[in-house]
Amino acid sequence: MNHRNKARVTGAIAVASAVAMTLAGCGRGSDSSSSGGSSTGITDSTITLGITTPLSGSTAGPGTCTVAGMKAYFGSVNAAGGVKFGDGKTRKVEIKALDDAYDPQKAKANYDQLKGKVFAMTAGLGTPTNRAYREAAIADKVPQVLVATGDPIFSDTGQSPYQLGLVPTYVNEGEAFGKLLASSSKQHTVAILSQNDDYGEGYVEGFKKGIAGASNIKIVKQLTYEASDTSVDAQITQLAATHADVMFNAMSVTPLAIASLQKAQQVGWKPSWFLPSNTSSPTAILAPGKASAYPGVYSTSFAKTPQSPAFAGDADVKKFLSDLKEYANYKDAPEFPHCMWTYIAGATLEKAFENMTSPTRTDFMKALRNISDFKAPLMLAGTSVNTTTDGQPAVSKVQVQKYNGTGYASATTFG
Amino acid sequence: MPLASNFFSRPWVRWAAIAIVVVAVLAVPLGFSEYTNQNLARIGVFAVAVLGLNVVMGYTGQVSLGQIFFVGVGAYVTAYGATHGWNIIVVLVASTIVPGVIGLLVALAAARLGGLAIAMVTIALPIIGVPLAKRLSDYTGGSEGVSASFSNAPGWSGLYNDQWQLYMVIVVGGAVFLLTRNLVRGKYGRAFAIVKSNEAVAASMGISPYRYKVMAFTVASLIGGVSGFLYMAVIQFTSPETMTFSHSITLLASMVIGGSASIVGSLLGGAYYVLVPQWTNSINPNLTELLQGAILLLTLFLFPGGLVTLAREITQRVRRPNRHSSGPEQQHTSAAEAVSSHGEAEQDPTVTGISTERQHKS
Repeated sequence: MNHRNKARVTGAIAVASAVAMTLAGCGRGSDSSSSGGSSTGITDSTITLGITTPLSGSTAGPGTCTVAGMKAYFGSVNAAGGVKFGDGKTRKVEIKALDDAYDPQKAKANYDQLKGKVFAMTAGLGTPTNRAYREAAIADKVPQVLVATGDPIFSDTGQSPYQLGLVPTYVNEGEAFGKLLASSSKQHTVAILSQNDDYGEGYVEGFKKGIAGASNIKIVKQLTYEASDTSVDAQITQLAATHADVMFNAMSVTPLAIASLQKAQQVGWKPSWFLPSNTSSPTAILAPGKASAYPGVYSTSFAKTPQSPAFAGDADVKKFLSDLKEYANYKDAPEFPHCMWTYIAGATLEKAFENMTSPTRTDFMKALRNISDFKAPLMLAGTSVNTTTDGQPAVSKVQVQKYNGTGYASATTFG
Repeated sequence: MPLASNFFSRPWVRWAAIAIVVVAVLAVPLGFSEYTNQNLARIGVFAVAVLGLNVVMGYTGQVSLGQIFFVGVGAYVTAYGATHGWNIIVVLVASTIVPGVIGLLVALAAARLGGLAIAMVTIALPIIGVPLAKRLSDYTGGSEGVSASFSNAPGWSGLYNDQWQLYMVIVVGGAVFLLTRNLVRGKYGRAFAIVKSNEAVAASMGISPYRYKVMAFTVASLIGGVSGFLYMAVIQFTSPETMTFSHSITLLASMVIGGSASIVGSLLGGAYYVLVPQWTNSINPNLTELLQGAILLLTLFLFPGGLVTLAREITQRVRRPNRHSSGPEQQHTSAAEAVSSHGEAEQDPTVTGISTERQHKS
């Protein structure tokens, strides 16, 4: 027995020292952010941005897009020489992206790894993954800006002094559609099917805000489903029995969105249909769901869709697609809007860099929070970047769009 | 004793060695960079989770795919307690007991089944856990998750947060490792081993396989709860994604790679769980899953018994020159070592331990 134990103890020591040697870094260095007056991750010729986002797993598609959009934008800017900062120096933008597989624990580990090297964290996709390091970023005074989550906490300066959200909140989207519907001259009955979590609740809350006081809109039935459900046929059948002429479908699960569109047709119910921006892809959802059968499928957006015939000749879209191909190694037209979102975020960051008078994180946050009515490339008419309103993300206005059989076109009236 | 000649087996040398190791381990947080400390703490968190899995799977041979559920429950209980201002000891106890009770209830039903049926039942845990965590948003913060920074270094300690957290992991995790080591080396460990190798034999020896399976499962969930507590202390955030089923599979893979039925193997498994995603990220962030799969296969090809066989191999090489005497016990020891150097995942040190003791007595 002694032998065994001793072997184990010796083994443990050997292993511990091996691990220690692998991990051994330098001792506790001094706080690098105080040296020479400039923050970590910025030199006279470069600035480094960090991204932690899902690059593997079920959200890898949109996650890869968040990195691609950023790389495309700054790849093209770097090729043209770099960004001219407000302090007179021209810097190239470097991007360090790590995979977190949508796991909060890995996102925090990635942040821990990046924070000593990067000037700011940006573009990462996911509410839990961004929340996982939000408090640490505040404590370390590392900016966590233009992150791809609709969670309002990131845009609340009181709670999140070093954060700023990029995309409209779920409430913003629901409200935009509610307002459009309320402006209709006809009477409408609405059936609601929403996901039973804060995602679905956000949309429904916004929608109710949008139709508040409108006498021509009546919600006739409201049902929920669980994100883990494999079928919502029962709910669709129940809602169909109301013969509502508008279906507000706050759904984040792609297969369920397709199945809902199919099931309603099967039971002979053809209302106008609303889908959230992230489950309204013409190719991935509407085509297999045979959405052309409905009088109208509506969604919201703030970025031009490359697939849409309306933007086929658009200069922004052409440059975006070629940048994506050249600098982000992303060959096809993106299936997810996140590529466009972070491209817009790139332009917004450049704007903030141009207004920074000193190379510090504090000054950067000041410059970033002072952008109003900025028309970034790829943005739809009527939308803009506006970072001056506390409690709102960088982009808070969305355009309601209507499906036209192949892509989306802006809709200013309902019907 | 023939071993008396061995320098390392003298009591005072052993105690001195233990003291040196303890001092070295306690000094580690002071000497390393923040990132290294954070990484070591994360390794500790998942080493404890893997250790729990090892109790039920490695030592008792019951496939459990639900370990991450207990880690998640432990993390949620910790978050709830910490945000409601409970005393930290109460939080630790609650985050251990609650998953333990759930584990016991599940085990009472699941342990009636045999073999893969238990795996099927335990699969349900993380699959139920994620939507449950979203639904119970009053306690869990829903899908947005919940953060609790209760583990920041108190002012009097003069330590950085990462150092304080690593100390928490070393103290709590170290205690769990020590207790588990004693458990699996003692009579319960021998009972687990017999249940693992042959339930009929166990029953004939008066060891109820059902009772010991329930017990191993409950101990695993208790340890999972402690891991959840440490998870919250180190990561300070949890959300339903913590409990994702795939993490359970990764834990299982880490256990096999570290070394099944091995205490040191659990530590190595924790290191594997934490470090491999980071290595693959540094190679190419777009290929992490592919690279992780390749590393998994490579490790299992090279070390079928887990990384711990590598550690055993090194120890053996170091020790071989010291061996001179050739008593019957010595022969037996080398036989045991031959078994361990074969590094079969299925090998049972405890079973071998029994036969050793029998030989001593006879």
